[in-house]
Amino acid sequence: MAGRHAHLRGLARAIHEISGLSRGLSVENLLDISSLFLQQLVNGITLGGVYALIAVGYTMVYGVIQLINFAHGEIYMLGAFLAYTQVTLLRLPFFVAFLTTLLICAVFGVILDYVAYRPLRTAPRLAALITAIGMSIFLQNLALLLWGSQIKSYPRDILPRLFFKPALTMGEVSLSWLQVFILSITVIFMLILHLIIHKTKVGMAMRAVSQDKVTSALMGIGVNRVISFTFAIGSAMGGMAGILVGLYYNAIFPTMGYIAGVKAFAAAVLGGIGSVPGAMLGGGVLGIAEVLGAGYLSSAYRDGISYAVMILVIIFKPSGLIGQILGEKV
Amino acid sequence: MRKLLCVVLVLGLITGVAWADSIKIPVASPFTGQLASFGEGVKNGAALKASEINAAGGVNGKTVKIVLEDELCDPKEAATVATKLANDPAVVVVVGHLCSSATLAALPIYREAKLPAISPASTNVDIGKMSPYYFRNVYRDDFQGAFLARYVDEVKGFKRIAIFYEVNDYSMGLMSAFMKEAIKRGITILGTEAYTSDTTDFKPQLTKFKMMRPDAIFNPGYAPQGTLIATQAASLGLKVSMFGADGLDDDLMVKNPDAEGLFVTTPFLPDKAGPQAAKFIESYKRVYGKDPNWFAANTYDAVGMAAEAIKAVGMDREKIQAYLAGINSLDKAYVGVAGKTYFDENGDCLKAAFIKEIKNGKWVSSQQQLQ
Repeated sequence: MAGRHAHLRGLARAIHEISGLSRGLSVENLLDISSLFLQQLVNGITLGGVYALIAVGYTMVYGVIQLINFAHGEIYMLGAFLAYTQVTLLRLPFFVAFLTTLLICAVFGVILDYVAYRPLRTAPRLAALITAIGMSIFLQNLALLLWGSQIKSYPRDILPRLFFKPALTMGEVSLSWLQVFILSITVIFMLILHLIIHKTKVGMAMRAVSQDKVTSALMGIGVNRVISFTFAIGSAMGGMAGILVGLYYNAIFPTMGYIAGVKAFAAAVLGGIGSVPGAMLGGGVLGIAEVLGAGYLSSAYRDGISYAVMILVIIFKPSGLIGQILGEKV
Repeated sequence: MRKLLCVVLVLGLITGVAWADSIKIPVASPFTGQLASFGEGVKNGAALKASEINAAGGVNGKTVKIVLEDELCDPKEAATVATKLANDPAVVVVVGHLCSSATLAALPIYREAKLPAISPASTNVDIGKMSPYYFRNVYRDDFQGAFLARYVDEVKGFKRIAIFYEVNDYSMGLMSAFMKEAIKRGITILGTEAYTSDTTDFKPQLTKFKMMRPDAIFNPGYAPQGTLIATQAASLGLKVSMFGADGLDDDLMVKNPDAEGLFVTTPFLPDKAGPQAAKFIESYKRVYGKDPNWFAANTYDAVGMAAEAIKAVGMDREKIQAYLAGINSLDKAYVGVAGKTYFDENGDCLKAAFIKEIKNGKWVSSQQQLQ
């Protein structure tokens, strides 16, 4: 190793000195620089996948009823805690807990809509928005009461040991099975979602309702049922993201939904709110920007960096990366 | 309206009378929130001291009543609590706060109200010189940081260290004190990375550290983040030693198998404490079923000092300040369970530091200690 890469090391030192890129970093050779970048990219993509899963919930609800459901971040948090309670208190196997959590979160999303948003369907949009913030605070405090404020983590033995071993190792870069699991779940569920929206009847109904509620109702679509379905799907995805993040970072706590919710909302806006592929792209871009920002610029300002990316996109492309500017609805 | 006023007045009288035969000593610290487990030691230590004082007849014939004030280690909450205490005429001395950032937020309010306060745990360097009304029975971070650097150099022989700090007064002050001494000793600081208290993803920074190939990572932060850092470092295959300061001295760390081998500085170790602590350790164990940690020991002493002051000069803020400031030499020192405390002109004190480490999932005193 030492002799073979001597020339590379010299080159790296030269780059290091010229660019001042890695100030404060004594990176020894070019291999290190590139594997650092690759590893950060892997971390960023994993984080981005999770943001995308949450962002989908925001964007679908927005697409259908033009409501920014601020309580969505709390559903993500509840997902993490519900799975935690099932594996610790009830001692259920992880994959059973995983599926029941998706179900509970879906039902919960429907109840949330029924209790908090449906009575306000015809009220000004601001009223529903404020209710959403209220629900968010309520759920956060409920979780504080139920589970306490300290950071909890899933017991180590709920997943097979394999998950914590590297799936792929290239030099210093490693991709763990857990990361592979998170990414593949994200991709699989995104594909399922895409199929639901574009290939099924209920998906068609969702698209119709998002275009025009009144006309859809006149065409015989049960608008409220479609909205409930949207909440169910979005909440299940949010709850799933909560479990995955809880596993990945080993930390679940009642306020975890707030920051994640704001970030995922930013991802949805970045991609173009209302657009499902936009949410996926936005999540990916935000995750990578955040990790690279923390890795190369300043870790103290990582959230600032990710929001700056969002602001820049909004300035230059107000409709988001994929979204279209819709004409005023009459 | 007038009726309501009467009711309020009468209620005020009743409660006033109820207070009159007890002396209120507020203890401000996080008791809920992320750092609730620090607060547990504070609460237990204060309660134990108060019950011992009361069993021995109280202070000037009155019982001592500990009032817990929860500020979540949040500077904004700390300022609110401080304002409340400053405006309460029944409060003549405060024991608190715990986090340096909270103390720095509360400090100007106590100074304005001329209300003396004794912090059992805030170690940031700047605190003492900012107010004549602030005292502390714990060492400062310039001492702690240099002590840790000395230990790392002389006992562990680490040469390359990466620092992972939290953006707060405690962590940043400690980091700069450590760096100053470490660089003087020829230790290379490979890099410093930051996080905030709501961070849960430490992987980008740890990935950077991994490429630097350090001998060890120094985390001058608090336990809730420290345990996540240990786990995420392990998951990235970053197998290097980690060490910290008294902010990592918490049972949260021992529950984490990835934190095995972690060592930290601490102001108090049960098996290294002098004979004066034997009775305290024994009764603490009897009441709470475990060994006291340093938060418990220092709070026990701080409440003791507050009670002594009231006993000597009565319920008067100014006189208590003068009394505490007068404890300024070794022969006047308050002899507590965590050593002797006497203040310099800033209200700071010199205390011993110890090293403890996690071995087989338990905190143990390190074999080698610095004198």
